[in-house]
Amino acid sequence: MTEYLGNPLVWALLVALVAAAALVVRQRKAVRALRQETQGLRDHYAELENDYGKSVQAAQERAEDETKTVLKSAMRTLQGLAAEQQLVLSRLQSKYGDSAILQDLLEIDHTNSQFGRRAQSIAVLCDGWLGGRRDTASVYDVVRSAQGRIRHFRRVEILSQVDFGITSRAVEPVALALAELLDNATSYSSPDTVVEINIRTVPKGICVVVDDAGVGMSDEERARAEKLLSSERASGVAGLGNPPQFGFAVIGVLCERFGFEVSVDSSSPYGGVRAVVLLPHELLTAMPEKKAPAPAVRAAAVPVTDGGPEAAALAAAPTADGLPRRRRKRPMAIVPGNASAPRAAGRSDSEQAQIMGAFQRGTQSGRATQPEAGDQTSSTPGASSEGHEDS
Amino acid sequence: MTGQDGWEPEAAELVRPYVITKGRELPDDEQLSLITLVTVSPDDTRRPTRLSPEEQSLLDICSAGYLSVAELAGHTRFPLGVVRILVASLTEAGHLVTRPPVARARLADKEILEEVLNGLRAKFG
Repeated sequence: MTEYLGNPLVWALLVALVAAAALVVRQRKAVRALRQETQGLRDHYAELENDYGKSVQAAQERAEDETKTVLKSAMRTLQGLAAEQQLVLSRLQSKYGDSAILQDLLEIDHTNSQFGRRAQSIAVLCDGWLGGRRDTASVYDVVRSAQGRIRHFRRVEILSQVDFGITSRAVEPVALALAELLDNATSYSSPDTVVEINIRTVPKGICVVVDDAGVGMSDEERARAEKLLSSERASGVAGLGNPPQFGFAVIGVLCERFGFEVSVDSSSPYGGVRAVVLLPHELLTAMPEKKAPAPAVRAAAVPVTDGGPEAAALAAAPTADGLPRRRRKRPMAIVPGNASAPRAAGRSDSEQAQIMGAFQRGTQSGRATQPEAGDQTSSTPGASSEGHEDS
Repeated sequence: MTGQDGWEPEAAELVRPYVITKGRELPDDEQLSLITLVTVSPDDTRRPTRLSPEEQSLLDICSAGYLSVAELAGHTRFPLGVVRILVASLTEAGHLVTRPPVARARLADKEILEEVLNGLRAKFG
């Protein structure tokens, strides 16, 4: 063994071994350090990625909010202008009601309503202004208002009516939601078909059923519609596609905000879509009273004071503006109506005598004042020449 | 931009006139003038339920005798043309009957009157 000690080769080997061991240890250390560093880098990277995602989301939200704010105020202006124009049109319609211009005015009015509705829909998606205050209105009128806000309103037919009103708060939202449904119904069905509306009373409230004879919705479209109608929808105007499909998104927002329900999950008997709007009792009220002067009550309901047209005129209740309402109990002699013949035959003798007496008194008094009357007419030619040309 | 809040324009009527007329066209002037007389058709005993409230109220107003189109417009406060469209459609459906206004009395010829006067003067004066 000792002879090896002197061998320099052994020493060299030993030295090499020690050096190798030291090298291995150092390498191990280095690897560990490297691993740690990688881990640290990885953590840092994850953190960065996370931060980035967050800031992107925040930026997106901010951008969305900013878009909403801008759109909201822009739409507010447009809505205001549309409402203003509608008032102007109403004025013009009564001013030029008797001329052929009316036809065009009605058309402009129609376009204006559609324009107003578009602005309103975008405003709703941006949590904006819904429109001016409305009075309570009958369900029928709200449905007709919705009908007036779409392009093909002539194709919509309302088949039934109910005696219920809608609270003033819900009038605009329900009308707007219905308008969007009707717009879909008329745009996705052929132009020669009719879109039917049925209004029904159900235990939970009132149902407005819209049936179209279109091609219906595919499963995909139905799923999209249901998602938009439920609360899972993304808010805002992003993700509505190009061209944007506002309809269901708007309806979804309105349903959530005002507490009514819309479903499109059944198909119509005509093959298209059946949309059902369920208005709960909270949104319903009694029929509103008519604002316009009530039409003359049917003849039977009015006590007949048979003293000639003057007495009838005195008995008539005044209209809302204080003017006496003319009530034709008996058609004027100049245009005898169909009913006048039997009534004349039914006059009693005393009545007949009274009338003849009055007639005679009238002619007598006429004759008595003739000279003066002649003088008067010469000074005021217009008074006696009613309907005739002056010669 | 006009004020954002506080500025509330009064809202126009909820149901626009073109919806009330169902988008129908104005009838001819000759067919239905301002002074055409309108009344409920005598054969129209049962009131159809499918009519709009405006049409119902027109029938109510007309139920007591002949009224002119102008008077109907006054009572309902609709633009005249709107009333004309409604009356035309109700007439078409057989709920109303119209009759042309009473013809205006023909004016006597001034020359004939003068001749008669001269003749009378010659004979009696």
